[in-house]
Amino acid sequence: MNKNFGGGRNFSHRRFAAGLVTAGLAAVLVMSACDSTEQGHAKEVTGHLPDLSFSLTSDQGQPVTARTYKGKVLLLYFGFTHCREECPISMARLARVMHLLGEDAERAHILFVTVDPERDVPGELRRYLMQFDIGQATGLTGNPDEIGQLARRYRNAFRLHFPPGGDSDIMHGDVIYIFDTQGRARLLATSADPEEILVQDLRDLLPV
Amino acid sequence: MEWFNWLVPWEESILVVAATGSAALFFLRGCAVTRPPLHRRLCFWGGLSLVYLVSHTQLDYYSEHQFFIHRLQHLALHHLGPFLIVLSRPCPVLLAGMPSSMRQAFHLMTEWKPVQYLARALCNPVVAVALFSLLIGFWLLPPIHFTAMIDWRLYRVMNWSMFLSGLIFWGLVLTPGPVFTVRLSPGSRIGMMLAIIPPQIVIGALIFFTSRELYPIYTICGRAIGGIDALADQQIGGIILWIHGAMMSAIGILVVILRELMLAEYPEHGRKAA
Repeated sequence: MNKNFGGGRNFSHRRFAAGLVTAGLAAVLVMSACDSTEQGHAKEVTGHLPDLSFSLTSDQGQPVTARTYKGKVLLLYFGFTHCREECPISMARLARVMHLLGEDAERAHILFVTVDPERDVPGELRRYLMQFDIGQATGLTGNPDEIGQLARRYRNAFRLHFPPGGDSDIMHGDVIYIFDTQGRARLLATSADPEEILVQDLRDLLPV
Repeated sequence: MEWFNWLVPWEESILVVAATGSAALFFLRGCAVTRPPLHRRLCFWGGLSLVYLVSHTQLDYYSEHQFFIHRLQHLALHHLGPFLIVLSRPCPVLLAGMPSSMRQAFHLMTEWKPVQYLARALCNPVVAVALFSLLIGFWLLPPIHFTAMIDWRLYRVMNWSMFLSGLIFWGLVLTPGPVFTVRLSPGSRIGMMLAIIPPQIVIGALIFFTSRELYPIYTICGRAIGGIDALADQQIGGIILWIHGAMMSAIGILVVILRELMLAEYPEHGRKAA
């Protein structure tokens, strides 16, 4: 019976190969850790997230779909009006971005999708968005399943039917999904991206 | 019926249902013919249900939105699940449970030259070790990880590749007989299990000791569990990778040694138990 526990020459070959693999992996990881060339620009996601598609109710009480906003650069945000942390900050940032865009703001539009449709009825959404003084913004609400589906489609950490407890604390991601005028997902912007650079990124998406 | 909600798939995948469903069906039918011992059956069902639960229930939501749970998911998909499935020696049972036409097609396929070349290449010890370790590192490269978590197609490719490479690796090191004409000595198989330890320790430690956020995707899209900040999440994930790799190899090595000892002491009984 072959009792080759030591493995002899084969064994040392293998250890050598393993050493190589380890060294290679370490090098690659270290290199990628040093490679932070993003410099505040929104993350490029073209081709990785699906095109915009939804059928919800606007803050005017009208049924709207992604087609309603065709031809505009869209900034989609999931939030809720009772949110005390991320949402007000992000909306204030977006108001500044729209201000910086100047005339180009006419060709951009913010969609604020509520993740708390029970409380955020259209009127409530309208009042909330008015506070930020953004002309080009629409609050969207709808039935919870539709909103859950939309959030899942864009991998936002919001899950229906499993409330984490505490009604002022609904889990949702703090991210702005940016779609081009054709409704294709192009960029992900976070609170780490400076507003001036976000404006540049948005202008790049506008057709000349 | 609260618990039932947990079994509802977060994202439906026909492929996962078809693969686990047919494996379960073939194994059930095969059990009636070959009557494998109870511990083998337990291993198979344990491994298969583990793989199904982490990839096709609400747990998948947590894996998508919390780094350390993503690492636990891969621990199940890459290590524990395939390990248990391989330990059950499912091949003869599954083949016996297949409809005869499918079994013939399977045999024809294994005789086909390109399939043989591919199988022989994948079953090469160095290739299997490299594939096993490189895949862990590849999917954890920050830019790749970002894209894999955002793109549902890549996400599925990632999970499938982890499961299949786990199946190949553990299949090679835990099966005493030849795998696709490749017969490895117990020493080589133990050597392979030792070889996968250092890469996992290095990657796990790199993640653990990095003081900045390597995987911002979880912050961007939101974390599933509140109260754990980005770095803590990253560090727990790093620890899981760092420690479990060595742990699974240690268990695998024990299994191989135990089998060899039993074969040496009780050749007749040992062969049956092994």
